[in-house]
Amino acid sequence: MRSQAYKLLVLDDSFLMQTVRNAFYFVCGMCALFLLWSWVSHATLNEIPGVAKTWEVFKALYADAFYFNPENAADEGIGWKLWDSIQRVLLGFTLGTIVAVPLGMIMGSNKMLMNILNPVVQILRPVSPLVWFILGQIALKSSPGALIFMIFITSLWPTLINTSFGVASIPDDHKNVGKAFGFSTWKYVTKIAIPFAMPHIITGLRLSIGIAWMVIFAGEMLSGDSGIGSFAWESYNGGNYENILSALLIIGFVGVMLDKGFSALQQSFAYDKK
Amino acid sequence: METKVLNNATVDMQNVDIKPSIIIDNVSVTFDTAKGEYTAIKNISLNIKKGEIVSLIGHSGCGKSTLMNTISGMVIPTSGSVVANGNVVKGPGPDRGIVFQNYSLLPWLSVYQNIFQAVDSVMKGKSKEEKKELVLKNLEMVNLMAHKDKNPNQLSGGMKQRVAIARAFAINPSILLLDEPFGALDALTKSSMHVELLKLWNLDNRNKTIVMVTHDIDEAIFLSDRVVVMNNGPAATIKEIVDVKIVRPRNKKDITHDPLYIETKERLTGLLFDKFSIND
Repeated sequence: MRSQAYKLLVLDDSFLMQTVRNAFYFVCGMCALFLLWSWVSHATLNEIPGVAKTWEVFKALYADAFYFNPENAADEGIGWKLWDSIQRVLLGFTLGTIVAVPLGMIMGSNKMLMNILNPVVQILRPVSPLVWFILGQIALKSSPGALIFMIFITSLWPTLINTSFGVASIPDDHKNVGKAFGFSTWKYVTKIAIPFAMPHIITGLRLSIGIAWMVIFAGEMLSGDSGIGSFAWESYNGGNYENILSALLIIGFVGVMLDKGFSALQQSFAYDKK
Repeated sequence: METKVLNNATVDMQNVDIKPSIIIDNVSVTFDTAKGEYTAIKNISLNIKKGEIVSLIGHSGCGKSTLMNTISGMVIPTSGSVVANGNVVKGPGPDRGIVFQNYSLLPWLSVYQNIFQAVDSVMKGKSKEEKKELVLKNLEMVNLMAHKDKNPNQLSGGMKQRVAIARAFAINPSILLLDEPFGALDALTKSSMHVELLKLWNLDNRNKTIVMVTHDIDEAIFLSDRVVVMNNGPAATIKEIVDVKIVRPRNKKDITHDPLYIETKERLTGLLFDKFSIND
């Protein structure tokens, strides 16, 4: 009897059971969300469209996702609009990363530079992304450019802060290895500083991409330049509220995918758990 | 018998004769702390011969690690000087290999890479093949060939310490500095590590000078030629230097019955645990 109970316990903790359980929790959560949504829809007398109506519209959008009209660039499927937004986010985010990682490493390894730059970062960080969009628009005279600039700036901060923190917290034990065996600066950076700071850097990147993806929607609503955000804004003006909720679901889904991607990257660099 | 240090400025004359490997001359170290200046060690002089094994022993915080760090170059004396292999110590150097208290292996590198990066950094003139061979030879010496591709956190404490020792040996330093190297190991592993360390020292014709910080009296006696007992800090000084006359090769099991061992142990125990006695 006892051994049987033990076996059940082991089975209960198997990978399969965990997956089944997690799937069940996911379904529970979604049900709760849909219930809340339905209630809000009901309470607003269907001003906010319900689940069923949104689903109809979503299916139609999905069916025509990669439609495009060669005569009118603005007349395109939701897939292309989404792709526009993703491209902007990836470009801005990449530029931000290229600046933030080296700068963060320098800040983290030099106390004086940290003291000089930290107040600047702290003052600029809470500035709304839309302010950066406006400044980008003024400086670049191009709204797609301004969008990328906005993403660039917003994805700087978490990466910069996390990278500098990571590098600043390299334990003396690791630094001493470099000192004792006379590591060159290059060897120190590539064999000690970067590997140690990597989990912090990836945490920064994960936060950055999350914020960038959140911000692009608002930016595109303001700029009206293609993308999923401008789609939502046009839908609002046209009274197609189901479209807005569909866009919301798509944004959420892509956001989860991006986060999962970086989470997997984080796992692969967690050297202490290998 | 014991070389008495009547006054800390007195150099231990007995060892000035041939080839001093390390000359510590009137060294004081003062740190700037939040609460003001803290003098860890004061006016310490000590000479260590080539091929000698010397242990620094004392209570926690007595500055024994600080004293050793002045030899490694991790700490620069506030006054006085340290000469290692004829050169004034101005920083860490490849002539002095260090085995740290907590192994200090880089967790993201394999056992092989941990040693290779040190060799690669120190042995600049050697080809990649020669470096590789050197790493493998040292891994062989500490019996870790089977584990060379593992990461440090897959190893037991004793294995990690063997990697750290292999790394220090691989750069072939003439001075080996061990900072409480076996402190975190269980008694059984510790004993076998002592034997292994002496084996490595023998393999090298007892040419390497070894300075070790410890708070384990048995360990100090088994391994050392001399045991330097330090006073409690702040401003720690050398209380006494005890010679260990037990002949080598020493046997871990037999040594405990050796009258010299018993006498030395009693002497050290007295020095370390009777702090109210007047400096005899």
